[in-house]
Amino acid sequence: MMESTVMIAVGLLLLPPLTAGCLSLLINSSRWLHVINLISIGTLVGAEAVVARAVFLQGSVTAFAEIVYIDALSSVILFIIGTVGLACSLYMRSYMDEQVARGVIAPKRLSLFFFLFHMFILAMVLATVANSLGVQWVAIEATTLATTFLIAFWRRRESLEAGWKYLILCSVGISLALFGVVLMYYSSLRVLGDVSSALNITQLQQVAAQLDPHILKLAFVFLFVGYGTKVGLVPMHSWLPDAYTEAPAPVAAMLAGVLETVAVYAILRCRGIADQALSPDFTGGLLALFGLISFALAAFFILLQHNYKRLFAYSSIEHMGLAMVGFGVGGPLGTFGGLFHLVNHAFAKSLAFFAAGNIHRRFKTVEIDQVRGLTTVLPWSALALLISGLALTALPPFALFTSEMQIITALSSSGLPDEWTQPGTRIPVVILLLCSVVAFAGFLYRITGMVWGPAPKDVVPGERWSVGHVPIILLGTMLAGFGLALPASLRHFVEMASALLLSR
Amino acid sequence: MSWLTPHVATQIVDFSSAMLLLTCFAIVAQRRLSACVDLFALQSLFLAMTAALVAFLTGSRHIYIAAALTVVVKVIVIPRVLKGVIERLNVTRELVMKINVPASLLICGALVMIAFFITQPIIPFGHLLTRDSLAIALAIVLIGFFTMISRQKAVTQLIAFLVMENGLFLGATAATYGMPLIVELGVFFDVLVAALIAGIYTNRLQDAFDSVDTVHLSELKE
Amino acid sequence: MIAGQSIFQAIVLTLAQAIVLIALSPAIVGLIRKVKARFQCRRGAAIFQPYADLRKLFCKQPVVSTTTSWIFTATPYIVFASTMTAGLLVPVFASQMPLNFAGNIIAFVYLLALGTFFLILAGLDAGSPFGGMGSSRESIVASLTEPAMIMAIFAIALTAGSTNLSTIVHRTALLEGIVTDPASHVMALAALFIVALAETGRVPVDNPATHLELTMIHEAMVLEYSGRYLALVEWASGIKLLVFLTLIANVFVPWGIATSVTPAALSIGLTVYVAKVAGLAVLIGTIECMFAKLRLFRITDLLGVAFILALLGLLFFYILRG
Repeated sequence: MMESTVMIAVGLLLLPPLTAGCLSLLINSSRWLHVINLISIGTLVGAEAVVARAVFLQGSVTAFAEIVYIDALSSVILFIIGTVGLACSLYMRSYMDEQVARGVIAPKRLSLFFFLFHMFILAMVLATVANSLGVQWVAIEATTLATTFLIAFWRRRESLEAGWKYLILCSVGISLALFGVVLMYYSSLRVLGDVSSALNITQLQQVAAQLDPHILKLAFVFLFVGYGTKVGLVPMHSWLPDAYTEAPAPVAAMLAGVLETVAVYAILRCRGIADQALSPDFTGGLLALFGLISFALAAFFILLQHNYKRLFAYSSIEHMGLAMVGFGVGGPLGTFGGLFHLVNHAFAKSLAFFAAGNIHRRFKTVEIDQVRGLTTVLPWSALALLISGLALTALPPFALFTSEMQIITALSSSGLPDEWTQPGTRIPVVILLLCSVVAFAGFLYRITGMVWGPAPKDVVPGERWSVGHVPIILLGTMLAGFGLALPASLRHFVEMASALLLSR
Repeated sequence: MSWLTPHVATQIVDFSSAMLLLTCFAIVAQRRLSACVDLFALQSLFLAMTAALVAFLTGSRHIYIAAALTVVVKVIVIPRVLKGVIERLNVTRELVMKINVPASLLICGALVMIAFFITQPIIPFGHLLTRDSLAIALAIVLIGFFTMISRQKAVTQLIAFLVMENGLFLGATAATYGMPLIVELGVFFDVLVAALIAGIYTNRLQDAFDSVDTVHLSELKE
Repeated sequence: MIAGQSIFQAIVLTLAQAIVLIALSPAIVGLIRKVKARFQCRRGAAIFQPYADLRKLFCKQPVVSTTTSWIFTATPYIVFASTMTAGLLVPVFASQMPLNFAGNIIAFVYLLALGTFFLILAGLDAGSPFGGMGSSRESIVASLTEPAMIMAIFAIALTAGSTNLSTIVHRTALLEGIVTDPASHVMALAALFIVALAETGRVPVDNPATHLELTMIHEAMVLEYSGRYLALVEWASGIKLLVFLTLIANVFVPWGIATSVTPAALSIGLTVYVAKVAGLAVLIGTIECMFAKLRLFRITDLLGVAFILALLGLLFFYILRG
């Protein structure tokens, strides 16, 4: 693989969203906005593939004088960003057009929407490929700033409320994470002595074993609490249900699928460094504990929901909690399960939000009780909803079944780290299984209630096939495919990534 | 500068950090919003002075840039934006407080003690010059956090967030003599954009709710 | 008693301090009024006007209500005497004065409190509603300032290692310009300044120039006094103001004070002292013009701030020392 090709590919990871964003501000025609969007995302996906191949061959890619660092873990996240981004862009083709046609959005606001969308993607990619923890922090804070107005896009009272809560809570959380970054920089300065590269992941990984454990403990706690707010872990989750309900469907899909994953990536990076100085039990126990609490709480809230977007939001919290448990428990099975779960959840959740968007547009309500008979009214969206519903409740043959099984197996075989619970106790597994049964019941009951049954009288039936339905086929196939037969390349990548996380 | 022994230098930096903490308490005790903005500008000025002092005493050039940026962004630009927001919204004071002033002051005092306890294991290892400023920085962050929870007006919550960022900058300057320049620039950019966004947001809130009291922002529930 | 000093010297020095305090306090009050007048773009009365006022009052016949008891007529003397004694405990222009052996902080605080206590009683004694109202307001303020004042002075005492005021000043003065705990001192200074404003009845706690029912605290208590009683009470409140300014100036910025009892040192000490106190008076005048008087129930907020600052000053001493 030629060096220059890789360099160009890395550059193409960052440039397209930037230029597309700036161009979107200048263009008013909706057709051109979509075209630019698709070109940009397409370039992104292509560049990712090139970089992934380079990582596959070399192990990691460092570019632009150590500003960019991509290894297997980053590649997995980039894969998620690219795929969900592409699916969203295709979905937006029909979603936005209908909203503009109905007069809900003025054309000028559409260009603002795309500008923010591109900045959002740019920030997420930057957070994934940045070598310096500080730049990663800046990028994650930038995602908060970019998405605030996306969430409040409808300018309704509830949207404004959701957007304000999101802005304040996430900014506060991320400020705490900045303190963690400062502490980490402080500890690395004492070992490295150099100034500007002491925050680089490459450098930190080399000297991690010499860092002071006290400082790292404090730093990791702050980083975990800060980035955990973005992931949506309990008790920092209160912005999440409101934000996902009020945001437009494509934005909600990107938030749920991709942004949470990027935040988890940030935590995992810091954990990888901290684990070499502290015992993995401390960080693992923290992750697993918060994950378990999030899973349990979200499962119970799912029972109470009567708004389907909020239902999906709590399901996000639940699945992120589960992934955290997988990472916390550790070991090859747990880490692989966690990473695989992130991939699958991103696909399933975005699919769910695409369906939700279509349903909202047709039925004009978010109440579950008022949505009935989707198979007659919106057949394609019913299919999407069914697939994502089955997937999110971890039913075979969808891939979430596999990853959830892996995590539960890992938990039952090794339990929570001994620092945090009594050794050998089975209680966490019991709690996990119980709550997943509860979530399964509540979720599936509501989904099937929406999909089947007689259609309400005042709703126009029929759904025309458009390019916005392509993502449904794409994501559905991937979910089923990964569950039945995981492609070897993807499995190899995830294994490489989990090996990176485990080699401590 | 023979009187500028390391001991004296530590004392000077400690003094400016203490002044920062003093302005923090003044913000908590204040009800008038324009006074809060002025106190924030004063605090940022002290922060810039502390940073410049550390830069002078240690010879690191890039902290000067960060100090200059602090003056431009946090002493001039952001207070002007906030004053404009306050004038446009015609909201002048925090009328109803969830926690009254003496109680919040006591809680802030407790937060300062907590901050010192948390940073106790770290402090013996630090640079002698700004050893205690890290503890004060964490105290400012916690006080800003608490103010954000206990106040209702959106503008006050924004000021509290900016106070948190000030504390973080002090922590970065104290513990590590500033972050790498690109990170500092990124942080400043983020803070500026956050303030602008929040300013625009409060306008929208005012239009939608006819007030910026976040007590109205409680319609979305379980 | 200081070693090597005769009783004659001791008496002379103590009298000198007393005379300085008595003579300077009306001038300080006049200076504050002048500064306020200048800010208000008036020429204002002369700085030495309060001396003329006092002389006028001493020549007038006092009128005493028949419903009062001995407390009413005794209070002006008690207040003057206690404030004067408290003043003798604080180092004024020399850091080691004969009476300083008794200069314990606690004694200082409670001598001042004795004066306030009797004033409160006298306000109630005349039976007028204004007096009772002023007394109750004054007791709110006094009860809130006391903890803050003690904490602030203790923070300083910890640095110097003693609760004797003259020892504190002497030791700090000898350190030649190095402040050992700046953070702690900053907090304590802020707290003590707020306490001084509250105890001496200055804006933003109380307006010394008002006689409106809604706003007066100290003035309400002394409303019934006239003639020489009023003169004594006014003089005593002037001395109290001077004593607080002396405390702040000499405990926090003691350099220039005479650390040895030689004529040269004493004259330098006196000049520096007058300059410091005048500077503080100008500062107080400026603050009185910058701020409005607080609502009565907001005074608790301000004094809460003072208490927390004093607490922090104490805390910083322990923690920042390592």
